[in-house]
Amino acid sequence: MFNTLKKIIKYPRLTQDYPNRSLTPASFLGQTEIDTAKCNFCGDCASHCPSHAIGLDKSARSIGIDYAKCIFCILCEEICPVGAVQTTNKFELAVRDKVTLNSHALCTNALSDTPLSNKNNDESINKTAIIKEDNLANTSYETICSDLQVTIKRIFGRSLQIREVDAGSCNGCDYEINALNNPFNDLERLGISFVASPRHADMLLVTGTGTRNMQQALVKTYEATPDPKLVVAVGACACSGGIFRDTYATNNGIDSLVPVDVYIPGCPPRPQAIIYGILKAIDRVK
Amino acid sequence: MVMTSNLKGNLESKFSLRFFSGQQFSEIAFPLTAKRSTNNPQVTLGTDKDNWQHVSFSDHDDKFSQEQDNVYYLEAPLEKIKEICCYIQELGCPLVLMFANDERSFQAGYAVYYVFAVREEGMLLVIKTKADPETMEIPSISNHVHAASGYEREIQDLFGIVPVGHPDAKRLVFHGNWPQGAYPLRKDFALGQKPDFAREKIRFQEVAGEGVYEIPVGPVHAGIIEPGHFRFSVAGEPIINLEAQLYYVHKGIEKLAEGQSMEKCLFIAERISGDETFANSLAYCQAIEEISETKIPPRAAYTRVLFAELERLTSHLGDLGGICLDAGYGFANFQFQMMRGWAYSVADELCGMRFLRSVNKLGGVRKDFVSGKEAKLIELLLNIRSELEDTVTIIKSNSMFIDRVENTGILETKIAADLNAVGPGGRASGIRYDVRKAFPYAAYPNLEFKVPEHNNGDINCRMNTKIEESFEAINLMIQAIEGMPVGKVCEPITEVKPYRFAFGLTEAPRGENIHWVMTGEHNTLYRYKIRTPSFCNWPALCHAVKGNIVPDFPLINKSFNLSYAGNDL
Repeated sequence: MFNTLKKIIKYPRLTQDYPNRSLTPASFLGQTEIDTAKCNFCGDCASHCPSHAIGLDKSARSIGIDYAKCIFCILCEEICPVGAVQTTNKFELAVRDKVTLNSHALCTNALSDTPLSNKNNDESINKTAIIKEDNLANTSYETICSDLQVTIKRIFGRSLQIREVDAGSCNGCDYEINALNNPFNDLERLGISFVASPRHADMLLVTGTGTRNMQQALVKTYEATPDPKLVVAVGACACSGGIFRDTYATNNGIDSLVPVDVYIPGCPPRPQAIIYGILKAIDRVK
Repeated sequence: MVMTSNLKGNLESKFSLRFFSGQQFSEIAFPLTAKRSTNNPQVTLGTDKDNWQHVSFSDHDDKFSQEQDNVYYLEAPLEKIKEICCYIQELGCPLVLMFANDERSFQAGYAVYYVFAVREEGMLLVIKTKADPETMEIPSISNHVHAASGYEREIQDLFGIVPVGHPDAKRLVFHGNWPQGAYPLRKDFALGQKPDFAREKIRFQEVAGEGVYEIPVGPVHAGIIEPGHFRFSVAGEPIINLEAQLYYVHKGIEKLAEGQSMEKCLFIAERISGDETFANSLAYCQAIEEISETKIPPRAAYTRVLFAELERLTSHLGDLGGICLDAGYGFANFQFQMMRGWAYSVADELCGMRFLRSVNKLGGVRKDFVSGKEAKLIELLLNIRSELEDTVTIIKSNSMFIDRVENTGILETKIAADLNAVGPGGRASGIRYDVRKAFPYAAYPNLEFKVPEHNNGDINCRMNTKIEESFEAINLMIQAIEGMPVGKVCEPITEVKPYRFAFGLTEAPRGENIHWVMTGEHNTLYRYKIRTPSFCNWPALCHAVKGNIVPDFPLINKSFNLSYAGNDL
């Protein structure tokens, strides 16, 4: 007992104050970036990329990484003959719109960017089914949508209950989600906690590609979660299928099975990257 | 039992294997100095024509070759396979792996490989046979060699090879949604093919009787863990039977690897099971290095030990925390979680990746991760060690906690041996086996460490095994850092010859990890068989819970802490 008390006094607080204070500059590997000014468009990185995440158009001299597919293996940095690929320590990569993760598609279709994000808003109306029928009569779809978003953020803004669903990951993402409850991250300090049943949850945190055998269970879990609800895809597999794309037993990301509100890239994303994504989903970070 | 008669190797100094006819089997001798020589092509075992032949593939056919000198391949006729396997099992050599391979393109049909380990001698004995091409059948050996049960069901699902006489030959990999007649590991099945959803009924083992009822749990669990369905048959509190339906996270990794470049397959191997990233990538690298006959630089060998032990330490600290948490001992859980956090900071310090990905490379490691960081690393490790010592003293003096873990979830030695339980789960039940000692790799032969020995097979023993291994892991890391020779860290492998094959064995945090790789044309893979320790230990877990009460299941489960992803592939 005395020894136990001694330890409690010795380590009063280990928790990092993320997101209020940014992480101290660390050596960890984050987002990989291609410097188009240095790049000679040889295509080595694109052909070697294990998850085919690098988009390259030699004639248009455009290149970019789709971070939804990227498995952060830094092979491209290693093989680039001109040193155009740099690994940064950026980890706050979560986005609402999957298209914005694809830096190649963005630079080639710069004009189509706006309509795509609008389209995504339309989808989010379907996602959050707390529309009352009498509201629908004379109000425009867009207004309902933005009202709803405000309502949801208000409801979830201070406290959030999460159910985690592994839909076919390698368990890397699951260990990182587990790490959210360790003394270093302690997610509950933000009013966010994990619950045992989807029926008690406001948010589903889904990892994995959405395997054939988990498909039905994932959809059932989604249906069991009361409205309004949010779905966050964690990791490259959940965002796009990652390295396991296009096999007989997988889907290319969980958004083919359930609607997704926020995508968190990474393989696996660090715990703080997941915190960032969760807070983004409830609009507590800009 | 009738035995094959008088089989004697004529390899003199290399390899002797004697079988006597009748009831008396006296010896199987593998001298430690055994070396397979390629300049002696006439390698035939057996005096009777219908007995075994030693097939040394490189001698028969230039296309086929294996490179490891501690692995023996023998070809046996299908009708003899059962007695041969039973015989080897009776000699005390466990079946550690069984897999099939579609070798139709070499006119060899579907080959089935039975891999037995002669652990005392550090050798593998591989019996190869061909499935009956007409009926697609093999005789089941599961009734005698119990460890074969899971493999035979796996082969049935993925290749459509039927194990005749299997006691319970129901589906393993596929659930009710998979149609009959689609076998993904056959070469004519395309990777991206998605058969229609079927509605087959999955039956579970039924336990009937007054007051017996079933508790279905999963696949989505209450905790943050992977998916799996457990069907408990209970009478009151005690568990009569537990059946685990797994493969919810089956992603088709073995099929995915076929035809891919060996470089890409390294990244696939890293993603077999997240918390065993390094053990899996290391087994894969070792197999490729064997095939290409590459010797990795000594500095790379030491670096690999450092990373492998760091992974073991991280994993064990998490497991110990989990055991405490599931016993309702929050303080100790947070202590272990804190140390696990420190172990992750060691990983960040070393390579910037918490899961040790992108560290291994074919022929060594990606860069010199250690130089200039030695003092810092040792300081971090010593800090973990002293905290671990304190915490272990505290939890071991807590009688309420020890009451809960002692004599709970006992895995009997006989069952552990029959099912080939490996790793801490096996070692706690009296199995004296560690890949690092029996099949030394990387720099382990140069380093000193002890393998824990326990006999009771309960949670307490598994916990103590993990505690002792954590201390050994820290010692090994410090030894590796201090004894690390200078020099380069990689001997790049750019090319491998086609149709060569080799095993890669590592001791993952959960136990013996075996990969078998056969290369294809243009530096691709033809077949990649992965067997992680979880595959062996899941059936053992189902036995360990019998007779225990339902609330102890999470605790027993955590003491094994098996990987679903590593099992399901």
